[in-house]
Amino acid sequence: LGEVKNRADLIIYWGGNPAECHPRHFTKYTLTQKGKYVPNGRKDRTMILVDIRETPSAKAADIFLQIRPSKDFEVLTTLRALVKSQPVNPETVVETGLTVEQLQDFADRMKRARFGVLFFGMGLSMTRGKHMNSAAILTLAAELNAFTKFVTMPMRGHGNVTGSDMVMRWTTSYPFGINLSRGYPRFNPGEYSTVDVLIRGDNDAALILGADPGATMPQPAIDHLSRIPTVVLDPKVTHTSRLARVHITTAATGISAPGTVYRMDEVPLPLRPALRSPYPTDEEILRRICEAVARKPPWMPGTNGLKLRVK
Amino acid sequence: MLRITGGKVYDPANNINGEVRDVCISDGRIVSQVEGGRTIDATGMVIFPGGVDVHTHVAGAALNFARAMIPEDHRRAAAFVHSPNRRTGLGGATPTTFATGYLYAGMGWTTVNEAAVPILTAKHTHEELRDTPIVDKTCCVLMANNEIVLDLLEAGELERAAHVVAWQIWAAKAYGVKAVNPGGVEAWKWGKNAGALSDPIEGYHKVTPAKIISSLARIVDDLHLPHPLHLHCNNLGAPGNFNTTLETMRVLEGNRAHMAHLQYHAYGGDDWDTIRSESAAIADYFNNHSNLTTDAGAILFGNTVTITADGPWQHLLYKLTGHKWGNLDVENETGCGIVPYTYRPNNLVNAVQWAVGLELLLLINDPWRVSLTTDHPNGAAFWRYPEIIQLLMDAEFRREQLKKLPAKARKRIVLPDLNRQYTLSEIAIITSAGPARTLGLSQKGHLGVGADADVAIYNENPDIARMFAYPRYVIKGGEIVVEEGEIRHTVPGRGFVVQPTYDTQIENYLRPLFQQYYTMSFDNYPVEMERIAGAEVRELS
Repeated sequence: LGEVKNRADLIIYWGGNPAECHPRHFTKYTLTQKGKYVPNGRKDRTMILVDIRETPSAKAADIFLQIRPSKDFEVLTTLRALVKSQPVNPETVVETGLTVEQLQDFADRMKRARFGVLFFGMGLSMTRGKHMNSAAILTLAAELNAFTKFVTMPMRGHGNVTGSDMVMRWTTSYPFGINLSRGYPRFNPGEYSTVDVLIRGDNDAALILGADPGATMPQPAIDHLSRIPTVVLDPKVTHTSRLARVHITTAATGISAPGTVYRMDEVPLPLRPALRSPYPTDEEILRRICEAVARKPPWMPGTNGLKLRVK
Repeated sequence: MLRITGGKVYDPANNINGEVRDVCISDGRIVSQVEGGRTIDATGMVIFPGGVDVHTHVAGAALNFARAMIPEDHRRAAAFVHSPNRRTGLGGATPTTFATGYLYAGMGWTTVNEAAVPILTAKHTHEELRDTPIVDKTCCVLMANNEIVLDLLEAGELERAAHVVAWQIWAAKAYGVKAVNPGGVEAWKWGKNAGALSDPIEGYHKVTPAKIISSLARIVDDLHLPHPLHLHCNNLGAPGNFNTTLETMRVLEGNRAHMAHLQYHAYGGDDWDTIRSESAAIADYFNNHSNLTTDAGAILFGNTVTITADGPWQHLLYKLTGHKWGNLDVENETGCGIVPYTYRPNNLVNAVQWAVGLELLLLINDPWRVSLTTDHPNGAAFWRYPEIIQLLMDAEFRREQLKKLPAKARKRIVLPDLNRQYTLSEIAIITSAGPARTLGLSQKGHLGVGADADVAIYNENPDIARMFAYPRYVIKGGEIVVEEGEIRHTVPGRGFVVQPTYDTQIENYLRPLFQQYYTMSFDNYPVEMERIAGAEVRELS
């Protein structure tokens, strides 16, 4: 994000609404900041917004391109062709809600930029096409580097989700959707992702930290959470804590508990609490749970007198 | 307390070459005598000081990005099943932090130098190093594309630049200074590179790669850092780059420097079809200039992932291979590129690379100045070091392997003419005593009284690769961590940090620059001391 602040002259948001979802993004990093190589701030930058409807972010944009729902992949693929000066069929382009001229102008602007950036939100990555859409936008950005400097970044949110990703990666190699039931990490999104495990009813207990699946997940997953012993650590009462067997109130990280948060560009920031809290931190509760578990005899054969029976 | 008796001791720093003698340990250090305690009978075994890796990438933002990019590799990786004395994890090209500790200790290595740390994300690197058990750690901070430093060099303010460098080393809680493709990574932020040492770099009028290299080498020496400037030269991997490397070494005359992964910088030819080995020319210059140290950066055939701060090179590699490509720009400081890669024996370029790594190790005649590395994970994963030891110790085995190369490649290399075979003592030098001396870690790499009790004990075995892959015992800080080739006990590692002196007024100079150019506040930038596990700070004069 620092490089975007100092260098980016073309800023593209795709399938996201930063004005409402990341309200500090424009002012702190992308649009209004004066950067080392964009000394006039907003005047030196062009912003393009691509979305299926006119959100409040459109007001901030120089160009707003409204595309038809579920046509992201087609638009991205057309842009990849235009960037490489390959012919496109105007009739199929029209189905995306944009004209060839609009997309040609878009492609030309990207190639002309000194430093371009593509931010993409869940409107791209979580709609029809899902990871194919993400792959398409990543490929577009990679290919643009044959002409100029271009980078891309997902608009991540939900507290410290990036931090969780980072720690999972260095401890297990994988960012999420990890199964440790065999004693080593296995990864398969769609099978081991939380929502899939819950819907299948594979797990017989749940410990929930820094999330509120009761508010966002499909009903069968929520039903399973209320069937099994669910333990929630949260500073506030949430949808999930209401259906949980146990809710432990914790100090709010960043307000009354210290820690480290990873920004969406994976830069770690230290948190210094401004207030004191009567409640324990997440870290302390987990440490005490780990200590209590450690006092129990280990389940592994050979370590508690049990022997593996081998025929 | 521990006594190791009956083994052949290889301790080149103390001129001990295979003598049968006792090694005594008390309170984590080597002592001259112990009374009581456990005795290990090491009859028929060889005893080495614990291995030291002078250049590896085991933690931090770039490596963690690479982990996310190659799930297909992880599925083939060795699984570490958790147990009461071991955490879960995976091996492979980019092992998880806990597995990294187990794998290094599992082959007798007890100290590692993480060679590339951006200051902006140094907190992350230290968090990973904290989760890397057993081994002791140092790290080098990336400086050759730091815009604050470059701006000062442009303005000719070398003295102030020295204070900034010293402040930044301490801010990152680092041990040394790393320079990667000086000027080239900065130019990459405009999609360009820096190839010629004496041309001004993109965005500057006076600053050239040569100026960055000579200034940083001088600053590092003036600050009396224990480890010299750790330098990744310009034009890595490019055919004909040996001229750049020779020119760089000439620029460094009068200063110390460590030339990282020299294998990637010793190619002749004009393009990928005419690439050839120039290791003889490089080794010849190197042999005559004792201000320089180096590490091999050897490659082995197989799958791996390449990770380097050299962003422009990685973009080229992506275009060459069509593999996945990841790029990270770190604001105002550096960048990084990641491309998964397979080295193939039937590929001309890869065959030449394979030979060049071994040639340099064989042609550099002072083993104290060349360390065994693969630039993990770039050339191969570090846990494949025993394969290289076998190639160095057994000329016959080497000749067998050479037969796998294309005939065209065999004409471009000098390896077939080299008959040198490393001795056990020389292996102890390039894997332990030498890198410890290069890093300036006086308590590592030897078994003299007062040294850290880091010891690797190997069963003598004609199968050299097997012998070094499975030590019988490994002792770290006086504790037995590996027995019978298994992790039995884990101990936390320590982190070595240097604190160079600087004028504290320099913060008044840096603070407004931060407000202007960074997206992080000045007070959040330095790494807090509490983040360093087992910190040991060395103050410098």
